[in-house]
Amino acid sequence: MSPMAVFVVVAAFTRPEQIGTGPAMMLWVLPLAASIAIVYKATKVPKITARSFIKESAVLFGSIVVFVFVSMIVGFVLTWLIVE
Amino acid sequence: MPRSSASNNLVLLLTVGLAAWVVPGAGHILVNEKKRALIIFTAIVLTFGIGIFVGSVAVINPVGDKPWYVAQIMNSPMVAAIGHLTTTRGYAVFGWPKEVGQIYTSTAGLLNLLCIVNAVYLAYLRGAQKTGD
Repeated sequence: MSPMAVFVVVAAFTRPEQIGTGPAMMLWVLPLAASIAIVYKATKVPKITARSFIKESAVLFGSIVVFVFVSMIVGFVLTWLIVE
Repeated sequence: MPRSSASNNLVLLLTVGLAAWVVPGAGHILVNEKKRALIIFTAIVLTFGIGIFVGSVAVINPVGDKPWYVAQIMNSPMVAAIGHLTTTRGYAVFGWPKEVGQIYTSTAGLLNLLCIVNAVYLAYLRGAQKTGD
């Protein structure tokens, strides 16, 4: 696939998708966290084997998600204390 | 010929860095890390693609959203062409699609920057091993 063909395909996306504004919006963090974990581990592990790479990426992905969840709870509690 | 060797090494580092910027993962192919290259290419292209899919090409706006654009341009020089298209055709996006699209495309760019640095570092290590430094 030539660079011009890739550009034409990408340039075809001229209309944004409609996405909701409810709590399910938080799920958008999951693919991003997975991508960050995978790319980071791809640069860090000394030798890539399927088993160790998947395990290490999953651990980092879980850590990111837990940190985001804890931050969300802390933010929620702080907001509740200020407002109430 | 130490000077020639250093000059060759510099050319290699620049080539690897440029290749890694033009196509995510290409720098790792040049240093013979094909598995890493495939993983990096797939992850970065998918992340960038999701951002463009959700927010459209309008999330790449070199005029109105310069700080985001700085991160997005790290994906590939092709982003500059998309930015030119957005500004000349007047595409626009607002609200959550814009937020999500910008976060995804910018994160993909910053991840590619990490990979560029990593590929150049690997190339440097290979060069140092060859010269025995």
